[in-house]
Amino acid sequence: MSARRSLANLRIADCTPLTKVFVQAFEKGMLARDLGVEFGRAVRDENGTLRIGSGPGEWLLLAPPGSAPEVVERVEAVRAEEPVSVVDVTHGRALVRISGAKTVDLLPKVCGIDMSDSITPDGAAFRSSVAKVLTDVVRDDGEGTRSYLLHCERSFGQYLFDALLDAGEEFGIEIEGFASNNSRSPE
Amino acid sequence: MSRGALKTGKSMRLGRQPGEVLDRSRQFVFTWNGRKYPAFGGDTIISALSAAGESVFSRSFKYHRPRGLLTASFLDPGCNVQVGDEPNVRGAHRKVEPHMAASAQNAWPSLRFDVKSANRYLERFLPPGFYYKTFMEPQRLWPLYERVLQRFAGGGKASPDAPHGYYDKRYAHPDVVVAGGGPAGMGAAVAAAEAGARVMLVEEEHELGGHLRWGDEEDLAALRRLGEEVARNSTIEVMTDSVVTGRYDGNWVAVSQRSLPRVEERLIKARTKTLVVAPGLIERPYVFQGNDAPGVMLSTAARRLINLYAVKPGERAVVLTANAEGDAAVADLERAGVEVARVEDARNGGDIGRVRGGQGAREVECGDGARIECDLVVTATGWTAPTSLLNMAGDKPFYNPAAARFFPSRLPEDVLATGGIAGDGSLDELLEHARATGKEAARRARGIGAALRAGIPQSTDGEEAPQDSPVTIPDLPVNGHLELFRGRTHGIVDYSEDVSSKDLVAAVKEGYDSAELAKRYTTATMGPTQGKLETVNAMAVIAEATGRSMEETGATTWRPPYAPITLGALAGRNFEPVRYSPMQPWHERQGARPLVAGAWIRPDHYGDPEAEVRNVRKNVGVIDVTPLGKLDLRGPDVSELLNFLYVNKWSNLEVGKVRYGVMCAEDGVILDDGVTGRLGPEHYLMTTTSSGAAGVLEWIEDWLQTYQPDWRVHVTPVTGAYASINIAGPKSRELLARVAEGVDLSTEAFPYMNVRTGTVAGVEGCFMWRIGFTGELSYEIHVPAAYGLYVWEALMERGADLGVRPFGVEAQRVLRLEKGHFIVGQDTDALTQGFGAGISWAIKLDKEDFVGKPELVWQGERDGYFRLIGLQPHDGSVAPPEASQIVEGKTIVGRITSSRFSSTLERSICLGFVAPHLAEPGTTVTVQLPNGERITARVMEHLAHYDPEGAKARG
Amino acid sequence: MILLPCPHCGPRNASEFRYAGEASTRPDPNATTPEEWRAYLYIKNNPAGWTTEKWFHRTGCRRYFTAERHTVTNEVRETRLPAARLESNS
Repeated sequence: MSARRSLANLRIADCTPLTKVFVQAFEKGMLARDLGVEFGRAVRDENGTLRIGSGPGEWLLLAPPGSAPEVVERVEAVRAEEPVSVVDVTHGRALVRISGAKTVDLLPKVCGIDMSDSITPDGAAFRSSVAKVLTDVVRDDGEGTRSYLLHCERSFGQYLFDALLDAGEEFGIEIEGFASNNSRSPE
Repeated sequence: MSRGALKTGKSMRLGRQPGEVLDRSRQFVFTWNGRKYPAFGGDTIISALSAAGESVFSRSFKYHRPRGLLTASFLDPGCNVQVGDEPNVRGAHRKVEPHMAASAQNAWPSLRFDVKSANRYLERFLPPGFYYKTFMEPQRLWPLYERVLQRFAGGGKASPDAPHGYYDKRYAHPDVVVAGGGPAGMGAAVAAAEAGARVMLVEEEHELGGHLRWGDEEDLAALRRLGEEVARNSTIEVMTDSVVTGRYDGNWVAVSQRSLPRVEERLIKARTKTLVVAPGLIERPYVFQGNDAPGVMLSTAARRLINLYAVKPGERAVVLTANAEGDAAVADLERAGVEVARVEDARNGGDIGRVRGGQGAREVECGDGARIECDLVVTATGWTAPTSLLNMAGDKPFYNPAAARFFPSRLPEDVLATGGIAGDGSLDELLEHARATGKEAARRARGIGAALRAGIPQSTDGEEAPQDSPVTIPDLPVNGHLELFRGRTHGIVDYSEDVSSKDLVAAVKEGYDSAELAKRYTTATMGPTQGKLETVNAMAVIAEATGRSMEETGATTWRPPYAPITLGALAGRNFEPVRYSPMQPWHERQGARPLVAGAWIRPDHYGDPEAEVRNVRKNVGVIDVTPLGKLDLRGPDVSELLNFLYVNKWSNLEVGKVRYGVMCAEDGVILDDGVTGRLGPEHYLMTTTSSGAAGVLEWIEDWLQTYQPDWRVHVTPVTGAYASINIAGPKSRELLARVAEGVDLSTEAFPYMNVRTGTVAGVEGCFMWRIGFTGELSYEIHVPAAYGLYVWEALMERGADLGVRPFGVEAQRVLRLEKGHFIVGQDTDALTQGFGAGISWAIKLDKEDFVGKPELVWQGERDGYFRLIGLQPHDGSVAPPEASQIVEGKTIVGRITSSRFSSTLERSICLGFVAPHLAEPGTTVTVQLPNGERITARVMEHLAHYDPEGAKARG
Repeated sequence: MILLPCPHCGPRNASEFRYAGEASTRPDPNATTPEEWRAYLYIKNNPAGWTTEKWFHRTGCRRYFTAERHTVTNEVRETRLPAARLESNS
């Protein structure tokens, strides 16, 4: 039986179980060409992995739970001339997804970045302070609904989740299970 | 709260007015000073009280004079009231609600009989600077003065039990912010929106419209049309009961937003591309004797009472008018049935000498000496341009004597001004100016926005910056106006601070002869109205007293906030990130006493720290050390990096080995320490102190990015990625052996200062380090974080028969101290260079380079530095408090840095810094305790008090 | 709050950055004198005008960069990345 899918205008889900792999290489090197995503953007590849250009010469790869070995292997298989490091940070980071039309009202309560379509369109990725925590933010809309992934150091995860719930209370935020959210996470 | 029947005094309520804001279908009751009063929906606290015939709403700040209504708006200085728990509520602005309990503040014991009003008769003894001068000496009496003065000070009462409401903050990124929602602000907002801008239209009052709201039928019709235009534009966010409180660098604009559902108040931090300043004009009071008596009010106040709130302001009036608005007030008063006994027209030499009446105006002495009985005095003597936001944007507005007000001079590209602040003219002329300004604001915002987007990697590809030419903004005419500030008598200049024109003249005579000095000396312009009513009058009085012109005198500096803002709004929600280890639920279940360590919440102890220490020495203890900083370092040049960062040598560290290292900054001062292990040929794991983790990461990033960008090293912070557990005690090997797989734990196969990777309790990929800080046999294991709680519980369960117990930070402190391991930041400080901390064995000056090397070379040559030593008080029952001084006579020659009672050694033990001549083992030093008592202590041979040879840890 | 143009992330609020001081050059540690080394550590020009300073984008890309900023107007006329990045040849 599948979990009930919330239709609220603002939903939050803990997506920490997703595989998270952190990659460092030259910003414009061979690996960068292979990954095919620049700093500031996020794209889904043919394996369903969300490739995020999370920093200059840095990438974050989000994939289904338990797939870290394959993701690491695929990156390491790329024959790059420059030094490349691939670190499985699944355990080291927390991941939260917020979805719904009201996300544009929630995020300005915790983050100073302009969430308008011209500055942060679907597929935009940036790192900034969210509720005073260093956070990678990815706009990852699904089925025409605004949605954002928020990725931070694991030990801040509970705090960040609580801060988002508090900020979203006035908009009637609802908590979704990871499973009901799965259809829009990388698969 | 309330007592007695509904107050039924003489009603001043008028019949329905065309522009009234009342909802007459909603009538209810509220209380004022405990008595019940009727009100309509839409009434403010003060309008409802005025309608019921009340005219005194507060006592003045210094002299406790009765004060009534002056402006009938947010800034009305006499109308600050207490509402329930909330002090300083703007009573002429706050809408009254059913059952609201409002009361007068700054009145004791009652508004009608205020004992402190005796101050009024002391006026000549309360000159400016009175409090400064009188209560300076003698200093010992200050506590008494303070108690008395506090009771006399103004303001309401903040209850410590008041619940903390939901005060919010948010960011915004509009194209255009329009400060002021009068006709000009509305026109500018509409034009900007029609030109494609996202607009924030901010209005202090509860409705848009400015002066049109209390105008005639024609004004009301124009307002309806403008309102419809605003409503048609969905890209205008209208914020009423809101105010732009400041403009800062980069067009960072603070907006305080009120009247929100579920939010008490919200502070919006708007990074706007352009700002349109359209605050209109503020009517200026006239200075004469009795100008603060209840019943003396501005023409706009009288018109607002009549037209917005359907309240008759008085029965018999004298009006002093110098402009068309004053004339309109006369017409309004007559229409409302007020007997206008006399109109003094300043344009024809009319004036007011003084007003008499204690509880309220009784009689006016006119300019010609005629005395007229009346209960209402209305003045219309001119306008103040609230240029505050323009000044904050760097403008220096100029004074135009012909118009008796200030005008903008040179605005930056991203700030524009329209409406009354820019000039006069007909409504059509104003709207034409406003529309052109709004359109130009939108045009400039497009250019600024395109430039911003160009640098932002995640933004959509920016369109070209617009090449369209600037919008021509027509000039507004400027109406002439008499310069009317003070009449022939002295009166109140600053109503909030109770500063009179006489006080200002006295200040000038005492030598405070510039506007800025006189302001600080008299506190004029420093009250809640923040200069909006009084700055220009103060300036005029100072100009008169110094014989200088208005231009020469100049206004005082306008600073944020433009309007008062609550502390709640400034505080906002509480963003204080906290970090938890994966074992936190277990700690909570075991009743661990939490310790806040930086952002981390850690167990200080689980009830009995001494028992925790004993259990480590006797059996085995486990401590959650997840906050330990952990950095994954990869690449061919890591060993070179380590050699550079640490004072010791790293080039020869073999795979599988770990080493302790100390880092010094460029000034040679100890920065951090920790253990780093080599996991593979090009793969290391560095640990740092918990509190130093973030700083060390930034420090390493700095060296790698800016000094040695050619080093091939990748750093990944993995502090939270591993749950870290230290297993310490004689039985630690036995415990670990029960859960670890694939690792030979024998001393021969896994000696001290080695690292192995293996499986713990079925969890793969764990790092096991054979290290410790307790001096016992111990292991530190790093477990993939999501399994941390599981592994911790497995250790507890499998080690139950071994006597495994958790221990917290306090036991860790004692265990470390027994072993003499210094703690960076506790036993060292910002002056502790490397050699002083007793790590000369580690400092390798023969290395080609490392951070801080020159300073350490010089420190070694210089000698003579204070040294960290182990200390034991001769009386082992005394543990001197940390930071106790080590003294020789009256000279400080050292200090205690760590001190605890060691249950292991059954005596007190310390670490401390001493001057070099006292560092010799066996020396007796004198320690002065905070209570002045002195004890003696012996300098020890080693820092370690327990097992100094380290045999146990290596076993 | 001033808006600081990060060369990687674009303009961001100054609160996202750590000011890392006036740009300075590290003397040769084996040839330096105490005077020279301490000038490197402690002596700043602190002009009222144009200055070259180092900033760290702490809650952003976590990169250090150099900015030329006017200390009176807060105008930033140029930002630069640290010189000689390995990857500059790519």
